[in-house]
Amino acid sequence: MGQVLALAFVLLLFGLGTRGFFLSPKNLSTILSLAGIPLIICLAIHQVVLIGAMDLSTEGIISLCAVVAGFLIRNPFNALDLGFWTVPLVLALGAAAGSLNGLLNTKVRMPSFISTLGMWWVAQGVAVILGRGNAVKMLDPRFQPFTNGEVAGIPITMLLALGLGALLLVLQRSTRLGKFMYAIGGDEALARQAGIRVDRVKVLVFTLTGAIYGLAAILLISRLASSNPRAGNGLLFPAMTAVAVGGVSLSGGIGGAVNAVFGTLIVTALNNGMVLMKISPYVQNAVNGIVLIAAVALTLNRKKLGIIK
Amino acid sequence: MRQSILEALAVGKSYPGVAALKGVDLAVYPNEILGLVGENGAGKSTLMKILIGLENPDSGEIRLRGARAELAGPAAAIRGGVGMVFQEGCLLPNLSIADNLFLCHEEGFRRWGLLSGRRQAAEAHRQLEAVGLPRLDPRTIVGELSASQKQMVEIARLLWLSRLYGVENPALILDEPTTVLQDNEVRILFDILSRLKEQASILFISHRLEEVLQLADRICVLKDGSVAAMLDRGQATTRGVARLMVGHELAEERCRESLQTAPGSEAVLEVEGLGLAGRFRDFHLRLARGEIVSLVGLLGSGKEEVCRCLSGSRKPDQGTILLEGRKMRFASPKDAIAAGIGCVPIDRRNEGLATSLDVASNINLLVLRRLSGGPLLSPRRERQNAGRWVEECLVKTPSLQTLCANLSGGNQQKVVIAKWLAAEVRVLILDHPTRGIDVGAKDEIYRRIRELAASGISLVIMCDTLEEDIGLAHRLVIMKDGRIVRDLACPRGAKPSPLDVIGDIV
Repeated sequence: MGQVLALAFVLLLFGLGTRGFFLSPKNLSTILSLAGIPLIICLAIHQVVLIGAMDLSTEGIISLCAVVAGFLIRNPFNALDLGFWTVPLVLALGAAAGSLNGLLNTKVRMPSFISTLGMWWVAQGVAVILGRGNAVKMLDPRFQPFTNGEVAGIPITMLLALGLGALLLVLQRSTRLGKFMYAIGGDEALARQAGIRVDRVKVLVFTLTGAIYGLAAILLISRLASSNPRAGNGLLFPAMTAVAVGGVSLSGGIGGAVNAVFGTLIVTALNNGMVLMKISPYVQNAVNGIVLIAAVALTLNRKKLGIIK
Repeated sequence: MRQSILEALAVGKSYPGVAALKGVDLAVYPNEILGLVGENGAGKSTLMKILIGLENPDSGEIRLRGARAELAGPAAAIRGGVGMVFQEGCLLPNLSIADNLFLCHEEGFRRWGLLSGRRQAAEAHRQLEAVGLPRLDPRTIVGELSASQKQMVEIARLLWLSRLYGVENPALILDEPTTVLQDNEVRILFDILSRLKEQASILFISHRLEEVLQLADRICVLKDGSVAAMLDRGQATTRGVARLMVGHELAEERCRESLQTAPGSEAVLEVEGLGLAGRFRDFHLRLARGEIVSLVGLLGSGKEEVCRCLSGSRKPDQGTILLEGRKMRFASPKDAIAAGIGCVPIDRRNEGLATSLDVASNINLLVLRRLSGGPLLSPRRERQNAGRWVEECLVKTPSLQTLCANLSGGNQQKVVIAKWLAAEVRVLILDHPTRGIDVGAKDEIYRRIRELAASGISLVIMCDTLEEDIGLAHRLVIMKDGRIVRDLACPRGAKPSPLDVIGDIV
């Protein structure tokens, strides 16, 4: 509910600030097209946050997937031309990296925020080594529709993102896995006591999240029409902000796909609005930071954390 | 002889330094409510943990419907028809009632491969009706429920699970269910339990004797890890059961009584009209120099909160605290420490001691200001101070640099006391100072408490057993339901017997 109000507030604020241009159909369509990929990434991360864990490896895994995808789709560097077969392969790569995150968390018993921080740099490093720092041009025209295609005025990337959101919503509300995720996010010890195989569920969620990163990578390089080892840069922060702003509790167990959608819309609209108002990019950064901190301050369940480290 | 539902046969369990259970025999029969009573430390919780599979017995066995059972944990226990409602609850606060009821057993609610929320809600509604909550919406988030509603949901879950596993007449264990309830909620709970008797057996654990006598068909009295008596409802009286609970004669010299010195005449701590809404009210206390006062009462009598208010970790709503005639207002434990009131909490490992730090760091923790030469700490003075108090308090440690985690419980407790002595407190609050400490170390703690009192430090204590309270204290302050009900002197050589006191407590 608060999220709807926040979105309305942002829309109203910039609507007034830009004398209505912000709310013009043209700009709203721009916001939707800008929000597509961030929404997919936000949906990926919010799953991990729901089970009470954290994933910071986003940018590394997306960069790695982007580089590999670039070399699998028709390109000037090698003879490979896998077309859409690239998609399952890159999703599998993302899933593998994600499952590694999950295993580090559950089997090595590391706090996920630190293991995924490490994974970020590992994947980023491998991406640079594989890509040798080059941008790889995409020569396959079949990926074109993901650049700027629309159906009924809604960008295709956004439709894909919403479709993914709907799938995850069903997963969360109407499957055992979904119930288990909320239970684990609520209290891992009690969930284990109830008989849930906690480690398996957690690895599964991290894996799913990794696969979604793979999807984001493919859409990203389609939009850029080339891939490079820095493709994922700068994607984590807005997505994490969207998770928090949307009302997914960083202490786990509260929120869902709908929250991710609202969070992403709020963050994207906010940034679009600030650009239109010609606010300095440095101020924009600071505003985003403040929004993240404020959102977490509002949604964190401190009772559950006990000691805050 | 009827077939028992759940039976413990000669069950024994020891922890390092303590024999918690010494061959307990206990049987729960179909359609009965069995009350289990005993003092703190009598072994009630250990017995429950074994019945539910959280702990393995060292000797003896558990039988379910006459067959020997090895329980791997609560999940296995409920499959065998034994379920427990834990004091702290085991419902997930962020899930709805329906989700909690069926957690991990949602298979039956699939429709087209997906879980049907409507079917779950309908079934949940039926389950809630069975435990007297027909008007509660099964989609309510559990975190929003009252304590009694949560208990009912837990009971509903256990009943539903046992039916799912095809168990007739499951055994439900309720651990102190009434401590979190209001009076009218207790009545409702008892109504429902009496009705549930037709389809389940109930093991009801409580130390409120009136409640047990009112509810239970039979009463088992546990004392020092053994069954002291098994009574039928008609045979039992509050006083009789209380007598059985505290049992044997007070051993002479058990608490170093001969070292008890007369307290000074001047008051160190004066408390007037202290109150905390819903916990206790009108609490008053005059603590003389070198006096040991023991707060006695059941869980929920308010004594814990009194101590929290005195040590600054809670703010009282009303009343005054005078320390040596000066009015005190504690905003935090820091203020209380600065004023000279120390507290040794019950939970040493989490609250009293930084177990990941070494002995010296713990002892010096509160007096670092005194140990610095200029802006930096002086390692020499740190060593001196820590060394002095380790000697004074007879802490057995390989070195000052030993991590406190590696010390025994008794020595950890001595480090905590050393820390407070180093801080030169005038009043020390000891919350169950001998909890989890073996017999030999207990004696040293008793001796230490005597020495503290003799040196002019005033103490407020809460002990594990009534005998300890009476043995150690100059005076007992007995609390019940948030009020002081009796103030009783315990002079050397003329100590009251626990039996004189127990009637006021329960």
